[in-house]
Amino acid sequence: MATAVIMPRQGQSVESCVITEWQKQKGDSVKVGDILFSYETDKSSFDEKSEVEGTLLEILAAAGDDVPCLETVCIIGSPGEDISALIPAKTEAAAPAAETAAAEATTTEATAAEASAVSAPAADTKEAASLDGDRLRISPRARNLALRTGADLSQAEPTGPMGRIIERDVNSLLDAGKTTTTEQVESYLANPAAYKAPAAEPVQADKAVVPTAEAPAKAAYTDVKVTNIRRVIAKSMHASLSTMAQLTLNSSFDATELLDYRAKVKASGEALGMANITLNDMVLFAVAKTLMQHKECNAHWMDDFIRVFENVNLGIAVDTDRGLMVPTLPAAETLTLNELSVAAKALIKETQSGSISPDKLAGASFTVTNLGSLGVESFTPVINPPQVAILGVDCVTYRLKEDGTTYPAMGLSLTFDHRALDGAPAARFLKDLSAALEHFSLTLAK
Amino acid sequence: MPKSQYIDPKKVFEPGYIHFEDIPVNQYAKTLDEEKTLYSKADMMRIYRDMRIIREFETMLNEIKTKSVYNGVEYNNPGPAHLSLGQEASAVGEAYSLDINDFTFGSHRSHGEILAKGLSSIHKLDDAELYDIMKEFLGGSILKVIEGKEEVKGNIKELAIDFLLYGALAEIFARTTGFNKGLGGSMHAFFIPFGIFPNNAIVGGAVPIALGAALYKRSNKKKGIVVANFGDGACGRGPVLESLNMSAMDQIRQLWGTTDNGNNPGLPILFNIFDNFYGMGGQTMGETMAFGMPARIGAGVNPDEMHSERVNGYNPFAVIDAVSRKKELLLRGEGPAMLDVVTYRTTGHSPSDSSTYRTPEEIEEWKEACPIKAYKEKLILGGVATSEEFDAIDEVIINRMTKVCRLAVDEEISPRMDLDKNPDAISGIMFSNEKRPVMEEGREPDVLIPKEENPRVKSLAVKSRWAFDENGKPLPKTKIFGLRDGLFEAILDKFYEDPTLIAYGEDNRDWGGAYAVYRGLTEALPYHRFFNAPISEAAIVGSAVGYAMCGGRAIVELMYADFIGCAGDEIFNQVAKWQSMSAGILKMPIIVRVSVGSKYGAQHSQDWTALCAHIPGLKVVFPASPYDAKGLMNEALSGTDPVIFFESQRIYDVGEQFHKGGVPTEYYEVKLGDPDVKREGKDVTILTIGAVLYRALDAAKTLEEKYGISAEIIDARSIVPFDYTKVIESVKKTGKIIIVGDACERGSVMRDMAANIAELAFDYLDAPPVAFGSRNWITPSHELEKYFFPQADGIIDVISEKLMPIPGHTAHLNVSDVEKIDRSKKGV
Repeated sequence: MATAVIMPRQGQSVESCVITEWQKQKGDSVKVGDILFSYETDKSSFDEKSEVEGTLLEILAAAGDDVPCLETVCIIGSPGEDISALIPAKTEAAAPAAETAAAEATTTEATAAEASAVSAPAADTKEAASLDGDRLRISPRARNLALRTGADLSQAEPTGPMGRIIERDVNSLLDAGKTTTTEQVESYLANPAAYKAPAAEPVQADKAVVPTAEAPAKAAYTDVKVTNIRRVIAKSMHASLSTMAQLTLNSSFDATELLDYRAKVKASGEALGMANITLNDMVLFAVAKTLMQHKECNAHWMDDFIRVFENVNLGIAVDTDRGLMVPTLPAAETLTLNELSVAAKALIKETQSGSISPDKLAGASFTVTNLGSLGVESFTPVINPPQVAILGVDCVTYRLKEDGTTYPAMGLSLTFDHRALDGAPAARFLKDLSAALEHFSLTLAK
Repeated sequence: MPKSQYIDPKKVFEPGYIHFEDIPVNQYAKTLDEEKTLYSKADMMRIYRDMRIIREFETMLNEIKTKSVYNGVEYNNPGPAHLSLGQEASAVGEAYSLDINDFTFGSHRSHGEILAKGLSSIHKLDDAELYDIMKEFLGGSILKVIEGKEEVKGNIKELAIDFLLYGALAEIFARTTGFNKGLGGSMHAFFIPFGIFPNNAIVGGAVPIALGAALYKRSNKKKGIVVANFGDGACGRGPVLESLNMSAMDQIRQLWGTTDNGNNPGLPILFNIFDNFYGMGGQTMGETMAFGMPARIGAGVNPDEMHSERVNGYNPFAVIDAVSRKKELLLRGEGPAMLDVVTYRTTGHSPSDSSTYRTPEEIEEWKEACPIKAYKEKLILGGVATSEEFDAIDEVIINRMTKVCRLAVDEEISPRMDLDKNPDAISGIMFSNEKRPVMEEGREPDVLIPKEENPRVKSLAVKSRWAFDENGKPLPKTKIFGLRDGLFEAILDKFYEDPTLIAYGEDNRDWGGAYAVYRGLTEALPYHRFFNAPISEAAIVGSAVGYAMCGGRAIVELMYADFIGCAGDEIFNQVAKWQSMSAGILKMPIIVRVSVGSKYGAQHSQDWTALCAHIPGLKVVFPASPYDAKGLMNEALSGTDPVIFFESQRIYDVGEQFHKGGVPTEYYEVKLGDPDVKREGKDVTILTIGAVLYRALDAAKTLEEKYGISAEIIDARSIVPFDYTKVIESVKKTGKIIIVGDACERGSVMRDMAANIAELAFDYLDAPPVAFGSRNWITPSHELEKYFFPQADGIIDVISEKLMPIPGHTAHLNVSDVEKIDRSKKGV
């Protein structure tokens, strides 16, 4: 019976060894103690001696190969013997499969943990006051910055450990234009507990010194505090535009069927127990179905690799009074139109009321944003990193047909990241999406 | 583990006996008539003079210590004076047959040995050589004091005696005109031009050092022998016993190969025990030791019983006879040898010792047996000289001593170091900072094969010197040039450049070092340059000190950093101190390689950088990338300072990920003390020490990808010296810094750096610098190590909790102030 010779494990931490030289060739006869091959770890080199007698029937790894420990390297037996059982099954195919499995495992983990850039901060992180008795908790760096810039520390919202004002808090003051005179900063630092905010607007006091005839009674502007969410949006959008290679494709489709369907639902849907399905719901539905054929658009750009999603986790841009938020509808492609409509409405409501869990604000693989209801005919949506595309839905306009009649045309604006995909595949997605919407009744059957 | 020596089970189980030869005790029996044929009258009178000089020198010191006045010269000496009154015949007898090529090492009680060896060398040197030595030593500063004030004019040898006495006394009184500018003092005085090597305030401390000197002579084929002087009390010390064994280890005569004269010599070292019966107050015969007579020790060391012999140290002729025979034997290559010289100190351990441990009768009886008195009476009785002739010698000695003492106490003539005028005088000699690629010019290094034929060199030639392939994918570890290869390349190069370089430690040869850094050196180097030491860390490191003192360069390896404790005195008191205690006369080109482990529990996983960094006089580095490892090793190997070279077992196999273009094949140096920015960032600085660099990189990746925080990572690379400039620059930018390392946090280098950064960059800080090290625990098993060593997620936790709260991040580590105070309260 033939014997498989494996790559020995030379110590706990050794995962693989490199074969340096074959001392025996395929077909050679081998005696016990003959050196079959030499191999080395990063630490030392070894000779593998045969423990059996026979003929070297098969060599499975060449000199220079890095062979995982315990894997079969060669087979010794009698000529003509069937050794197929000893040859590891499709080693090549097995390895990538294992890799993919591992990659998938990490994907699920990562998606769960990953926060969408535009998701709201986990909680309203209002820190304890920075006063410790009559001492202000402030880092030397933040103190110096405030003294240099006149940032009004009395308005600072400390975010450092133990309620300490740190540099970023002073920067927040500066971004919000909350400044005062250096003297005021000094006096506040000297005795923060006793400090009273200057009675009148200090800025005006300063200005009053300037003898302008028509000094305005009141500043002609209001400094609006930049909220945390605004800051997050700002950062994310700026990062998006400054790091990606974005461009937008505009297109339109004949929305006759879509509008008919919408009218139908409006007229009798409720009686049938159906939700009030909007145009936007229908677009979301078609997007989810079409993306399944264009997975390259349903992906994240991860710098070193592109993470392509198996499900359409559909981000829906929602305008709230706190700012733009994007809740996610997971596995949207699995939902019927009615289910989708119900789920999307619930999600939007939660988002607008602010009760939404941060988990639901994360993990979108593709986003749809709709300015059509506000009469926008075409725009360039900004991608939420690390997604690779975003669809903007425009309003309906009327266009002439060749025969002189008109038809309702609904615009679509697809922004994509040219780093992740090229213009043609993006255009094909847009074309298929248009078709799916144009023949919505057929799409419904999917 | 040489394959050439086969261990045959049949043979080792054969019955038999171990035989011992008799060890001679006081067998010297020559009569004066016989002695007259061996020594001229001048020789005999010189022996008297030398003993008498030592007696007067120490009497003077005793008077100064106890009465603050000697012959009208007043002085108060607060420093130590361990006297050997009564032991003069032993010292003079030993020195009689030694010359300047024979190196002596001593103890804290070695004034007599220094003077005896000095007087013997003065006698043997010709006048021109002698005058040159005096003129050149420390720029002639000692000669300048005594020249023109000779006791006996017009005689260079007499001038040299003044020179010797004054140089030694000024050293004892801590004057810049002393042999070591007053930085060594009574217990560390030495004068290399006369073959007098350092004495040692650590009992037995000089013994491993002397072993290293013998190793130097043997490996570099230098003339002369080495004498390690130590007391009976020192025989209780581990490093002494380690050195006895290592000096006699079988391989030297069985494996090291023949030298040019066809001989296969043992180490030329004489272990000379001055048995004065007391180790301070502990009585070795009958109380603290078991040997009865120290000469017995030799019988346990090797089949030669170290040629051990016990002689009467109160008879100078008996000692001369014994030492001369041992010297011949050593020069024949039959070493090592041992002598047990019976002697007695009639004064206390120090002048403050009231001798509570012995009776006044015992002391009186020994004073009565005074070797000088007995010798003088014997010569008068035997008609060699008259009483007047002895008196004349005495008179010159007393006058000379009074003059020397007067000069040495004079603050103008013999000033102390002025640290007001020259505040950096000591800073300037803590390190020698010299660049000496080769310690001995003009000699071809002994090697076995051309460098290009080395199997490891060949195997490295096909490895990638950059960690990634052309697509940026990590290459398998077996295909890359790793950190261990960087070390190997630097070391191999130096072996082919510096003929004095040797390397040894446990499992270095054949095995290639426990972590394969030395794989390939066995093929390249003969045994006498590269060998396996016994498991004797103290002797390993201590001998490197002696090797360096003689002018060689050594790399010693301790396998695990945890074993630093086994060589504690040798690293902390010997390696670290000899450059500065010698006022820069000695150089210490020694690399002590220590490896920080993991996975192997509490006694094999410790990063003890803090212990080494704490001791002034050591340079300490801890590279984390192949480029840095090679560059720092090159720089360390070209310098003249001792470097404790920390390595991490976690990363011996990492490839180069930072230095663009990979690890250069050619020679380059990385400057010691220069940290390196491994990753640029703007929001927070992470300063890493050692292998934790890679965990910091993981943390930085998460910070960037998950939280949009950009971390700058600086790899300390060196710990002593350390230039803070780059770190401060980074902190000015980020305002926040965390210092991470694998050492236990309490008292760590991280803490020290955190404190320094807080001082240096206070105004730029947005949060206090935080040190993040391992818990103040034992290292648990590998599976639990993540709770002990700093991890990537822990780094993020600490940043979020202590430096800049990260929205959305939930910390798992408890780093609150309350927890910190509580842990400190409990001492954990």
